[in-house]
Amino acid sequence: MNKAVVLCLCLCMSATAFAQDALEIMTEVQRRSRTNSQHYEGTLQVTSDNSRVTEKRWVYDRIGAHGSSKAVLKFTAPAEVKGMALLILNHPDRASDQWMWTPAINRERRIALQDRSTRFFGTDFTFEDLEERDVSQYDYRLLGEEAIAGVPSWKIESTPKRAKGSQYTHSYVWVRKNDYVVARMEGYKRDKLVRSISYSDIAKVQNTWTARRLEVHDPGRNSRTVLVLDRLEYNVTLKDEDFTLQALRRQS
Amino acid sequence: VRLFGALLLLTGIAAGQGFTHRGFIDLRVLAFPQTAPNDSSHAIGEALLRYEASRAVLPGLRVHAGFDARTDTHHQTERSARLDWQDRGVKRPAFSVRRLSAVYGRRGVTAEIGKQFVRWGKTDILTPTDRFAPRDFLAVVDNDFLSIPAARLTWERGPLTVDTVWQVRFTPSRTPLLNQRWAVLPEQTRGVAISDLGARHPGGSAFGLRANYIGRGFDAAMSFYDGWNHLPLLDGTIQLLPPTAFVERYYAQLRTYGVDASVPLPWFVVKGETAWFTSTTPTADEYVQYVLQLERTAGEWVFVGGYADEHVTLRRNPLDFAPDRGLARAFLGRASYTIDVNRSFAFESAVRRNLDGVWLRGEYSQAFGQHWRATAGITLIRGETTDFLGQYRRNSHATIAIRYSF
Repeated sequence: MNKAVVLCLCLCMSATAFAQDALEIMTEVQRRSRTNSQHYEGTLQVTSDNSRVTEKRWVYDRIGAHGSSKAVLKFTAPAEVKGMALLILNHPDRASDQWMWTPAINRERRIALQDRSTRFFGTDFTFEDLEERDVSQYDYRLLGEEAIAGVPSWKIESTPKRAKGSQYTHSYVWVRKNDYVVARMEGYKRDKLVRSISYSDIAKVQNTWTARRLEVHDPGRNSRTVLVLDRLEYNVTLKDEDFTLQALRRQS
Repeated sequence: VRLFGALLLLTGIAAGQGFTHRGFIDLRVLAFPQTAPNDSSHAIGEALLRYEASRAVLPGLRVHAGFDARTDTHHQTERSARLDWQDRGVKRPAFSVRRLSAVYGRRGVTAEIGKQFVRWGKTDILTPTDRFAPRDFLAVVDNDFLSIPAARLTWERGPLTVDTVWQVRFTPSRTPLLNQRWAVLPEQTRGVAISDLGARHPGGSAFGLRANYIGRGFDAAMSFYDGWNHLPLLDGTIQLLPPTAFVERYYAQLRTYGVDASVPLPWFVVKGETAWFTSTTPTADEYVQYVLQLERTAGEWVFVGGYADEHVTLRRNPLDFAPDRGLARAFLGRASYTIDVNRSFAFESAVRRNLDGVWLRGEYSQAFGQHWRATAGITLIRGETTDFLGQYRRNSHATIAIRYSF
C-alpha cells in the first residue's frame, strides 16, 4: 500500500516537473521575445490549391507586450483593399478584441469570437492567428525533442485553459533549444490538423531573435500563405492613442 | 475653383511622409429587359473616377480629400464642368468634392471639420440611427452615401466613446429623376406633363449626440438627433390646362432617439437597432423603426439576415420618398461566399412580409492581378404596384462592371 502511494506520488511529481519544464520553456520564449513595440511591413503571397498566386501587403504596428499589447494591421496592397485595417486589443486573461475598419463605408465591424477561426482576408491566417496571447492562457506539456530544419527543438503541446477560447483544441509548438525561438506550430481541432505555421529566416533583430518568414499551410484547403517581414524594428516610438477605433477613423 | 486648387495642392504633394492615396475607375453597363412608362431605354452606361488622398500636415493633424468625376449615357449626370461642393443638385454632378476635411486627434479627443462622412449605427441592412448619412438614390436599389459639411468632436476614454456632430448645412438625399425609370409615377398622371419645381431646403443646422460603450460581451449605443430628414416629402399640385403636375420636394424637421446594440452569442452575432422618429412638421409621420439582425460566419460563408419593421405612432399620410420605410415589414438577407482569394459570390434579398414585394440580387466578382476586378450581377424585382419594392418590378436588370483600383 505504502509502495503504491509512493509510486503514485513519484508519478505525480514527475508529471508536474515535466509540465513545469514546458511552462518554463514557453515563459522563456515569451520573455526573450518581449519588446515594447514592433513595426514591420509584411508581404504576403497566397497560393491557392490551383496554384494561383496573389500578393497582399500590410503594415503592422504593435505597442505593449504579451497579454496586454495593442496592434494595428493596415493593408497597403492590393489597391482595392488599401486602407482597410484591423485593430487588435490583446488581454492577459481572455481572447483579444478585434475590429475591422472599412474606409469605403466609414464603419468598423467587431469581429466576434466565433468568427476568429475564419480566414483573414483570403490569407491562410485566421483572425485568431493574429492575436498575441499570454502564456498563462494555456496549459503546456513537454512531449519530447525533435529537430526542425536541423536545429534541435522541444516539442510542446499547448492546450487552451478555456475550451471555447480558441479554435484549436490543442497545438504542438516546436521551440529551438539554442535560442528559444518558435520554429513550428501545428494547430488541431480534435485529431485533425487544421493549420501549420513554419517559422524561418531567423535572425537577431535589435537583440531579439525573430523569424522573418512565416509559412502558413491550411491542409483543408491545400492553400499556403508566405508572410515575409521587411523593415522590422523593435522598440520604435509609437503612441498609445494611435491604437483606438478613432485613430483608425482619423487615418482613413 | 479654390477647392479644386486645394485638392490639387494636397494631392500633388505625393512625396511627403504620411501621404496616402487610393482610388478607382469604374465602368459599368446596366441592361434592363423591360422599358418603363417614363423611360424607354434598355441600357445605361456609367463611368466613375474616384480619387481619395490623405496627408499628415502636422503632428496629430491630417487632411483628407476625395474627388469624383463621372459621366453616363442616360443624363443622370450633369453635363456642366463645374466642381460641385454642396451635393444639392437633382442630377449627379460631373465633378464633385467627395470629401475635404481636417481631422485632429490628441489624447482621446478627435475633431474633424469639413465635408466628411458620419456613420452611426450597427446594423447593415437598415440603419435607423444613421441620421447623418444622406444617399444618392437615383437608382434606388444601388445607392451610394453622400458626405455632409459638419464639425465632429469625438471623445474616447477606455470603453466609452461620446460623439457629437454639428451639421452646418443640410444635405438632402438625391431622389430618382422624374423622367426616368426609378421614379414610378401614379397611373393617373399618364398623359400629364410632370414639372419638377425643385426643392425647398431647410436653412438650419442639425445636431447629434451618440454615446457608445464597448463591454466585455457587447457593444451598445444611445443616440439623439435633432435636424432634418434627408429624405423628402413631396408637394404636388395639378394644373388642368395644359394638364401638368408640379412636384416640389421639402424636408421634414426630425428628432430621433435611438439605441443600437451588438451581442455576440455562441452561434450568431445579434445586432439590433431602433429609433423613434418625431417631427414638428405637420405633414410628417411619427414612428418607431427597428431592425433585428443575425450574423454568422461559417468557413467561407458569411450570412446576414434580419427583419425590419416600423410602428407608426402618429399617422399623417404624407406623400414622400422614403426607401428606409419602404423596407419596413421586410425580411432582409445577405449571403456571401468566398470561392478563393480572387473570386466571390454574393446573394442579397429583401422580401416584404406580405410577399407584395421582392428584391433579389446575385453577384459574382473576380479580381485579376493587383488592380482589376470584374463583377457581373442580376437584380430581380417583383411585386405589386402598391408596394415600395413591387413598384419597381419593371426595373429588373443585369449589371456588368469593370473596376481598376490604384
